[in-house]
Amino acid sequence: MNDPQAVLPQKQKSALNLTMSVAILAPRGRDAEVARQLLDKENIASVVAPSIEKLTHYVQNQIGAVLVAEEALIGTEIEALQHSLQMQPPWSDVPFIVLANGTASSRSAAAKLRMDALRNAVLLSRPLHAEELVRAIRSALNARTRQYEARERMVKLEFREQQLYESEAKFHAIADSVDQMIWSTLPDGYHDYYNRRWYEFTGVPDGSTDGEAWNGMFHPDDQERAWSKWRHSLATGDPYEIEYRLKHRSGDYRWVLGRAQPVRSSTGEIIRWYGSCTDIHKIKIAEEQRQLMLAEMNHRVKNTLAMVHAIVSQTLRQADSLQDAQASIQSRIGMMAQAHDRLIQSTWTETKIDEVVEAALVPHRSGQGHFKVEGPDLPIGSKQALALTMALHELATNAAKYGALSIAAGKIHIYWDIIDQGENAVFEFNWVESKGPKVEQPSRRGFGSRMIEQALAGYFNGSAELSYKTEGLSFVLKSLSKGLTD
Amino acid sequence: MASEDKSKPAVLIVEDEPLIRMEAVDMIIDAGFKTYEAGSADRAIAMMELHDDIGILFTDIDMPGTMDGLKLAAYVRNRWPPVAIIIASGVVELERTSLPEGSAFFPKPYATSQITKTLHDIAVRLH
Repeated sequence: MNDPQAVLPQKQKSALNLTMSVAILAPRGRDAEVARQLLDKENIASVVAPSIEKLTHYVQNQIGAVLVAEEALIGTEIEALQHSLQMQPPWSDVPFIVLANGTASSRSAAAKLRMDALRNAVLLSRPLHAEELVRAIRSALNARTRQYEARERMVKLEFREQQLYESEAKFHAIADSVDQMIWSTLPDGYHDYYNRRWYEFTGVPDGSTDGEAWNGMFHPDDQERAWSKWRHSLATGDPYEIEYRLKHRSGDYRWVLGRAQPVRSSTGEIIRWYGSCTDIHKIKIAEEQRQLMLAEMNHRVKNTLAMVHAIVSQTLRQADSLQDAQASIQSRIGMMAQAHDRLIQSTWTETKIDEVVEAALVPHRSGQGHFKVEGPDLPIGSKQALALTMALHELATNAAKYGALSIAAGKIHIYWDIIDQGENAVFEFNWVESKGPKVEQPSRRGFGSRMIEQALAGYFNGSAELSYKTEGLSFVLKSLSKGLTD
Repeated sequence: MASEDKSKPAVLIVEDEPLIRMEAVDMIIDAGFKTYEAGSADRAIAMMELHDDIGILFTDIDMPGTMDGLKLAAYVRNRWPPVAIIIASGVVELERTSLPEGSAFFPKPYATSQITKTLHDIAVRLH
């Protein structure tokens, strides 16, 4: 919208702007007045300085140009003017137009010096020629405008430099504070930047992995694969991503995930690659262990099912009746399940033999003081614990039906120990019944006795024997002591 | 239990889990075969060397020691070609090409009837 009020007359505008104005110092005669009128006609702003002091003030405040009569350049105030001219900023050079002292044809040395001290001055002869004066002033103001423009450009440049410096500082602060290793390469793949973390991780001297030396930090088995992936990315611009082993400062290799993205110019060419390495060692190892565990668990579950299958099948083979079979199967599988629970609690590895024995006897204790249990708290493996539990269950069930647990006075002495030391150390486990009813060798070997003599011995890699002495049944298991946990 | 038939080949049962081994032995005795047993590949080879009436190898795959069931089967096929091979296993991922030629495979748990039938077929073939 055009608002005529908003447009100031040219003259008024210029009078407010010293930088495009001419200061006039010509106190004698009518020169100042004449000059002013001439400049007014040409729409050039001007201001009359009544003294050198005032002129100096204008010079300090970036006056556009100065028109001065030569005879006015005397007196002590000149020094201040000269000093101000010396103290101009590097871009500034106030142009002077000097009206020559027409009376003298040759200058004194002092007069020449005073002129030189103005630095940037041209001489016009008097009387004033209108066109000469105007041209000289215009020329001076144009030159002065160029000076201002140069200053603008320089200020902008300095600002840009400062911004760049701060941006670099910011980049380094961020790149060195994150947890990742960060690196960068030229478009041809030449690595020229690594952040602090890279050097902390690898422990190598600064700069020693520049260029292509990074490949040597990779595990030998991963070098070729990494190289070919990197070459592909460089050629196609596809993002780079690969898991590999990187040499840690401790000497070990650790799994890392390497990734990189290209940065493109405005015309689409790749000008830089920025990449990172993330330490994934723990995750990788955990994943490997998880796979191992899953496979192990799967295997164990299958084996457990096969064991249950064996128990059921064997029991059915031997049972006198379906009811008998049902009771046997339930109690045997129940005992196995309990033994499993205890093993899960000790994370499928080791438990102590005294705990196993106590747990197996719990359902058979009646408070009547049948049992005497003695033996050290030796560690026992999971398979052995399970087998021993089942064997004790068989022995106790049998004792309750036909042996020492079937009468109040019956006694069962359970004891175990390790005999000898070192390689020949032998583990021995005993179950001895006494004061029970008279015992006879059974006509048929049931599941229980086979479980005890064969399976149990197998799990301990040793030998087991049931004997039917007249005082009562006894059972002994012998194996090398490592059979307890192998 | 069926009585041993001397004209039938004896079976060597290789399985590291004692309970499962016991069950396999029972099942094969019930089918009318004489049995030997071993808990590892090393013991199995020792048995093979000791008893020349063994005509059938019945083995699991997962076993302790340096040789697993597959390696054992390959070894036996190589050293005693006439011996028939039955492999039973709980192993889930198995390359069928790693089984010796002409051997039978059963995933665990196996049906007794299937094993028994296979044993009888083999006995007829070897006769």
